[in-house]
Amino acid sequence: MRSRGPPRCWTGRRNALRCRTAVELSTHYLEGALAPDELTCCPQGLGDGGCAVASASGMSGDDPGLRADDESSGDGALVDALRRGDETAFASLVDRYYDTMLRVARMHVATREAAEDVVQETLLGVIRGIDHFEARSSLRTWMFRILINQAKTRGERERRTRPFSSFAAELEADEPSVDPDRFIASGRWAGFWALPPVGRDLPEARVLAAEAGDRLVGAIEALPPTQRTVITLRDVKGLSAAEVCELLDISEANQRVLLHRARSKTRATLEHYLDERVEVS
Amino acid sequence: MRQPPVRCVEFVESVTDWMEDALGDGDRLTLEEHLAICPHCTEYVGQLRLAVALLREVGETVPRTSPPPEARASLLDAFRHERRA
Repeated sequence: MRSRGPPRCWTGRRNALRCRTAVELSTHYLEGALAPDELTCCPQGLGDGGCAVASASGMSGDDPGLRADDESSGDGALVDALRRGDETAFASLVDRYYDTMLRVARMHVATREAAEDVVQETLLGVIRGIDHFEARSSLRTWMFRILINQAKTRGERERRTRPFSSFAAELEADEPSVDPDRFIASGRWAGFWALPPVGRDLPEARVLAAEAGDRLVGAIEALPPTQRTVITLRDVKGLSAAEVCELLDISEANQRVLLHRARSKTRATLEHYLDERVEVS
Repeated sequence: MRQPPVRCVEFVESVTDWMEDALGDGDRLTLEEHLAICPHCTEYVGQLRLAVALLREVGETVPRTSPPPEARASLLDAFRHERRA
């Protein structure tokens, strides 16, 4: 039996921002949306903050009651309700997942209308298939598998008539994270900053005007569909890397490549915003 | 095993792997050594983290897109019809 002491900190590295991440994710954790492993050995570095969350909740990270990897255990009541024909249960399922489903579908098809069709077909498939759902995976995973299959089929059909940026092409594209002209090109200091980001006391996210958030959302909207989906699920909606890989059926490495590109561009937008803000004041 | 030092142009390409704790100890230490001596890359990381924090703020304040009312109604109709059958 595993000890029930406080969860181990992953690295013992001190880093206030990691703790801030932990605090941001704490609700997620307390709701059981993170596995205990993600607390004690979290890819996001829950580290010290994870311990704080666990002690605040009065639970140890080893508490089996928090095991979110067994997400399907919470599905039983919902699946029963759907099978019974409980309309409220179905409506809440639709309201809860529609937006995310739409984004995921949009990775594979060219237009929003096509993505809406795919989501509609998927939810009809859920209605028809719920009696055959065997709970080998969580309900959510099952629904997103249906969704991705539908979206890919539709996407392949579309591509025969009109080519557009595919998932594979997005991964293969070679994009620098920062404009190469901002680095010294040759000599002893080649590869170091020539035009570095301006050093300043960065404000807290909370105190920046809503305008800053709007600008970043605008930047996200302009991203290729797969990058847009990954950054939306990870950073806007706060899902873990593991959850995003599972929902989108992509590898950890590909998830990170897409997140990296998306975050690099979003940071560039923020940098412009911060520079303008100083010029105005 | 010691690895060659990292330059800024490489740091910005590896920063997400570092933030996601996806690096082995050797690569991680090399990046952190660079970070310790480079105020510009430190600023860069600060901006990345601020961008992520801003997106979380947005996520908490902006409601998610609701399904179009017609689509929602037709799904509920289909559900009623199918489950009654």
